[in-house]
Amino acid sequence: MARDTYSLWQDLKDLVRSLVYEKQTNCLLCDTSVNGSQVFCGVCESAYFYPRLMRCSHCGKITEGNTEECHDCSQGRGPKGLKKVVAWGHYTEAWRELIQDVKFKSQPYLLKRLGQPLAEFAIHHLPPPDVLVPVPMNAERIAERGFNQAAAIASLLHWELGVPLWEGLQRVRTTTPQVGLSRQERLHNLDGVFRMPTAEKKVIQGAKIWLIDDVTTTGATLEHCAKELRENGAEEVYGLVLAAGMVKS
Amino acid sequence: MFYILLTESEKLHITPLKEVSYLQEKTEVLLPSLPLSVALCLLDEISNKKTKAERSTTFWTRWRKGEEKVLKRDRDWLKEELLKVLQKRVNVSQAWHWEGMESFQLNSEEKIRDKNREDFQARTAGRLLAKADLQRLGKECHIPYAEVLFLCHEQISKGYGEWIPAVIKDGQGWRCQRCGGIRVEEWVSIYGLTATCVECTVLGAVSSLHALYRSIGPPDRNWVKDIKLVFSPRWELSKAQRLASQDILKYVQGDSTSECVEREILLWAACGAGKTEVCFPATAWALERGKRVLFAAPRQDVIHDVAPRLQEDFPDLQVSVLTGISPEHFASSHLVIATTHQILRFYQAFDVIFLDEMDAFPYYGNNALAWGIQQALRLGGKIVYLTATPTTESLDKVRRGKMGLIRIPARHHRRAIPMPEWRKVSEALEPERFSRHPSLKVWEWLKESVQLGPILIFVPKISWVNSWVDLLQSEFPEWTIAGSYSSDPARREKVDGLRRRKYDAFVCTSILERGITIPDAQVVVLQADHELFDVRALVQMAGRVGRTQENPTGSALFLAAGKTPGMEKAMAWIREQNEIALTQGLID
Repeated sequence: MARDTYSLWQDLKDLVRSLVYEKQTNCLLCDTSVNGSQVFCGVCESAYFYPRLMRCSHCGKITEGNTEECHDCSQGRGPKGLKKVVAWGHYTEAWRELIQDVKFKSQPYLLKRLGQPLAEFAIHHLPPPDVLVPVPMNAERIAERGFNQAAAIASLLHWELGVPLWEGLQRVRTTTPQVGLSRQERLHNLDGVFRMPTAEKKVIQGAKIWLIDDVTTTGATLEHCAKELRENGAEEVYGLVLAAGMVKS
Repeated sequence: MFYILLTESEKLHITPLKEVSYLQEKTEVLLPSLPLSVALCLLDEISNKKTKAERSTTFWTRWRKGEEKVLKRDRDWLKEELLKVLQKRVNVSQAWHWEGMESFQLNSEEKIRDKNREDFQARTAGRLLAKADLQRLGKECHIPYAEVLFLCHEQISKGYGEWIPAVIKDGQGWRCQRCGGIRVEEWVSIYGLTATCVECTVLGAVSSLHALYRSIGPPDRNWVKDIKLVFSPRWELSKAQRLASQDILKYVQGDSTSECVEREILLWAACGAGKTEVCFPATAWALERGKRVLFAAPRQDVIHDVAPRLQEDFPDLQVSVLTGISPEHFASSHLVIATTHQILRFYQAFDVIFLDEMDAFPYYGNNALAWGIQQALRLGGKIVYLTATPTTESLDKVRRGKMGLIRIPARHHRRAIPMPEWRKVSEALEPERFSRHPSLKVWEWLKESVQLGPILIFVPKISWVNSWVDLLQSEFPEWTIAGSYSSDPARREKVDGLRRRKYDAFVCTSILERGITIPDAQVVVLQADHELFDVRALVQMAGRVGRTQENPTGSALFLAAGKTPGMEKAMAWIREQNEIALTQGLID
């Protein structure tokens, strides 16, 4: 009874607030107050998202230079099989913390407000897709965590853009986490990890796909998923991630 | 994560360990593992179905087919039903399956060294721990996580512990089993509606998919036999303190199961009366009897101030200090000193809890912490709340007879506590307006005060601090003046300087209202009628004056255009305290 009263009281307060004031929200990353529809404050926006900097057209990392491709990619060390990858923000400090809170601390609801700004960023940088495909997670991990963060991000875009979401890709083998492996080890660690059931291939035939994940480092995961998608009939695969490292040129 | 095991004799078990030695028979396991709440729910559903199915297995079938075959048939049915129920609950295609476990370690129990076991038992007694805590515990005792789980399991099988889902849904909604919080964020996991508690995320977030290990401690062994408790106080209690400490001892000794003894008591001491040491004799008594004692306070600096004092008076005792920044998180001592947040990791662990500054942030107004204190207390345990400025709620409890009251109305130097004075200032005290229309009276009063000692000038707003420092500096160029506030990076340095008598005047917000003793400090509160300055803040600020034997008097001035009820009440509290002290012969 007491709890009902409490929540009723909270609801009432919210209602009155929404009638009396303009909606006040806080920056998702630093908690300073921002205007109604904004998700990040100006300081955080420029500290983590660099809206004015280019992304490497190949691996998607934010680049400080003016070149189209970063050093690694121009040397042929970028992810293969993807038309393009883009990273929204820089994987550091508060932005990294938020992504880790989502992933490891059972707080996927923190993603809620990201739908609109992420969609805006994505349509600005990538051609319109036919279907959204999240990078899959293995069975044990999803059983433990209760959700796949890549699928959660993809579903935000699905609601925002109305593009179908397809979770047909499967991770059939448990792998050592990519963290702590060398570049070469990472690339081979994932051989034969992603598969898809034959029955469902129709959806991706000739399709333009946005392949979605939370974070990318070497791009190996995206690369292996893209390979599987293309071998099964996808036309073009684009990678989209919330965060990546930053490269100098 | 938890495994559902099915033995050959058709018994179902839930365990975080796949390899369990106590099952001396062939076992099958459901993979991948599941969150505790989901596993419990599954078993619940299946046991309903099972009883129905069992009824339909007649004696004749058993006789015709043979016991073995019936068992196998029932096992297959169980396995299939479990998978069915699970697939129904889970809203993505996820491949659960049964696997046989041919080999399991039989000797793991012997392999665990006795030292590890003892260490583990001592550190987990009376604890309520999430996975991250258990992992940290493993690191602290140098035990691998799998072994920690095994030790938990061992305790549980002896009846000394249990696994519980961290957030549960009861008839009234979600509730966090760690902090008692009812504010959650709901989200949809593959298992359906899931909730993460938002009230105790500082301890590492927990959701309804997480489990907590709760120890239901075995009765303490009589430890005093091997450790002799030495209680050697370095101080002598004043008469006022002695009376109170006798009352507290009597209260702690009292049988709380009888109705005339309350579970909680309030120790209301005058500012600077020395309430901490008053609790030590009762602490010594309790420790001698093998009881566990917690000394808790909302702020880290209080903990770091009290810890060395307790350690000095109990020289041979290992004292555990737990704060957000302390290196050790699990200690086995019978005397624990902790910040209030750490209490949420205890369960029925203490016989006596002393809670200092119960009216201060973040304890006051935080339901989770209040709940945590009750959870940490053993059945029949007692709580002593310590404060100089009790909240309306606690005074109300006292009035209704729900809480006892012990008072220390006088300081050890046997002089009355200086009465604060209201001085009317019609001019605005907001610094910009004051600089245009300064009140000469104010400058006069400050000049008088500074004759007696350094002045602490309290202001209601951070933005006033530096402006007032400038104003004062231009009026009194010969004075050394500084100011500080909570987010001032140089705060610690400046406060140290203040202690070393570096300043003539020190402007600050309420940061210095508690705990600090500057021997001959004088107090001036600017705009004492500001809404932030309630009765408790005013009493605390006025309480900075006359705290030491050498300087038992001084002046506390409330500058304001009018007298607020808060100011009147503050003066009434102090007057009443002095009157009580006088009638009890505690002041001269």
